[in-house]
Amino acid sequence: MNKLIIYGILLLTYLGLSKSLSPNEFGIKYVNSDQSLSDLIPGSPVSVILTDIHSTGFIIKTYYHKYKVVFGFQSYEELIVRTSRIFTEKYKNYLGMSVFRRYKIDQQESFTPLPPGSIFIGDKNFGNWEFKDSTNKEWKFFRVYRQIPKYLGWGDFKPTFKIYNKIKLHESQDKPFIGSNDEFGINGTITRKAFPKYFDRQSPKEAKLNNFLKDYVKENFIK
Amino acid sequence: MNEIFDKLLIRILFTLFICLALFIYKYAHVIFYPSNKKQILKKIYPSENYIDTLHIFSRLIGISLIFSTLEFNEYIGISISTFHFFVWSVVGICFYLLSIYILENIIFYNFEYKDEVLKKKNPAYGVVSFANAICLAFIIKTIFKESDNSIIILIILWLFSLVLFGFSTRLFKFVSKLSFNSLMIQKNLGLSFAYTGFLFGNTVIIMAAFSHEHHDIGSYMVQVILKTLLGALILPIFKYGLTLIFKVSESVNQGLQEENIHLGHGIYIGAVYLTCSLLTSIIIAQIHFGTIYPFF
Repeated sequence: MNKLIIYGILLLTYLGLSKSLSPNEFGIKYVNSDQSLSDLIPGSPVSVILTDIHSTGFIIKTYYHKYKVVFGFQSYEELIVRTSRIFTEKYKNYLGMSVFRRYKIDQQESFTPLPPGSIFIGDKNFGNWEFKDSTNKEWKFFRVYRQIPKYLGWGDFKPTFKIYNKIKLHESQDKPFIGSNDEFGINGTITRKAFPKYFDRQSPKEAKLNNFLKDYVKENFIK
Repeated sequence: MNEIFDKLLIRILFTLFICLALFIYKYAHVIFYPSNKKQILKKIYPSENYIDTLHIFSRLIGISLIFSTLEFNEYIGISISTFHFFVWSVVGICFYLLSIYILENIIFYNFEYKDEVLKKKNPAYGVVSFANAICLAFIIKTIFKESDNSIIILIILWLFSLVLFGFSTRLFKFVSKLSFNSLMIQKNLGLSFAYTGFLFGNTVIIMAAFSHEHHDIGSYMVQVILKTLLGALILPIFKYGLTLIFKVSESVNQGLQEENIHLGHGIYIGAVYLTCSLLTSIIIAQIHFGTIYPFF
């Protein structure tokens, strides 16, 4: 019985020390709510795009999010945070989308999943509307901000005034908007092109046992 | 041909230099040991007292083990590499002898070298002392490798390893029911086998705990502590598994001589502990997990 108690104490000590002293725990923040994400992001205007989701652990899983923080007046930053399972599930479908933004005016914040960089569309400080044809207008960034669409991973996406109105409507109703033709989100064509790493991991290459054994013997016993 | 001859000559010179280092060791041994341990300066007659022979040559094996870590790099210059070898061999000798001095005071706090080896010719003392000397040599060899030519890190790791090893020697009562002091007085070989396996097992775990990459000393030490703790958690599982798989029963049959009982039990304890420690070292040092960062 005494040995069992000592073993239990040792086990608890090991788990406690591992948890508090593990280098993996240092420098990586824990985000489990919208507010804790907001606390991590300084400045405005800023658009936070969820670019990757990952989980580690065989039995007990640890979840991680990778964000691209695109600032209006400077280059972007990348941020990796540890999250909870619930928080991961909440945003899983909105990969490649802006999940948080803070406006310059009144430091207003919004957590509605919207296409990346929605905060910059329609903001006269960053660009203006250009007529595509007699009825349709298209958003164009000023030359000085021409890198922003690259940071946002837009590719060929050109936001029109119609899309802008939809974005604003969804934001006011706090309803996610994944694009007029579902270009964004986990199944979005633009997301797949802009942030391919997540999708590469989801579809592992097919491995044939014969080829594997052949390569293994070659690598380990012949070379 | 000249070049080959030169290289051979340099190798012979270095061999002589190592012999010189052993000569220094002989006298350093006297400095670290009180007057009654000046046996090393006298002429040795191996057949006269085999316990003393075991005692003296265990240290020589140990010091050779430590020397085997050191390197001569002729390409940086013979004089520099010789000086480097000299400095580090002196450091190695000092640390090794200090370690033996401290550990023997912990393990044999009730026993005297003069009484047990020279007067009583106690084989149990000789075997345990032999195991202790070899174990310490292995530990110092490991920390020499890990310190990477930094004397500060070497001192920190040496102190740390000594604390770990010293503490581990006090845990024998959790491993075996054999009473160290009373059986040592009885010159019991069973005890010596059990304790030898125990010391070697601890050494294997400590070496495994120390053997990993380090970038800063703080996190390295934390990892060493965690690995040692992990070793303490894994080892009993292996021990339980081994006794279950091989159906080992520690109950004693009536009619057997007590000496035989102790001998069998000692061999069993020593062998099982060493086996479990070697298997534990796989778990604590040879399972590598990736980190999340390469995925992103």
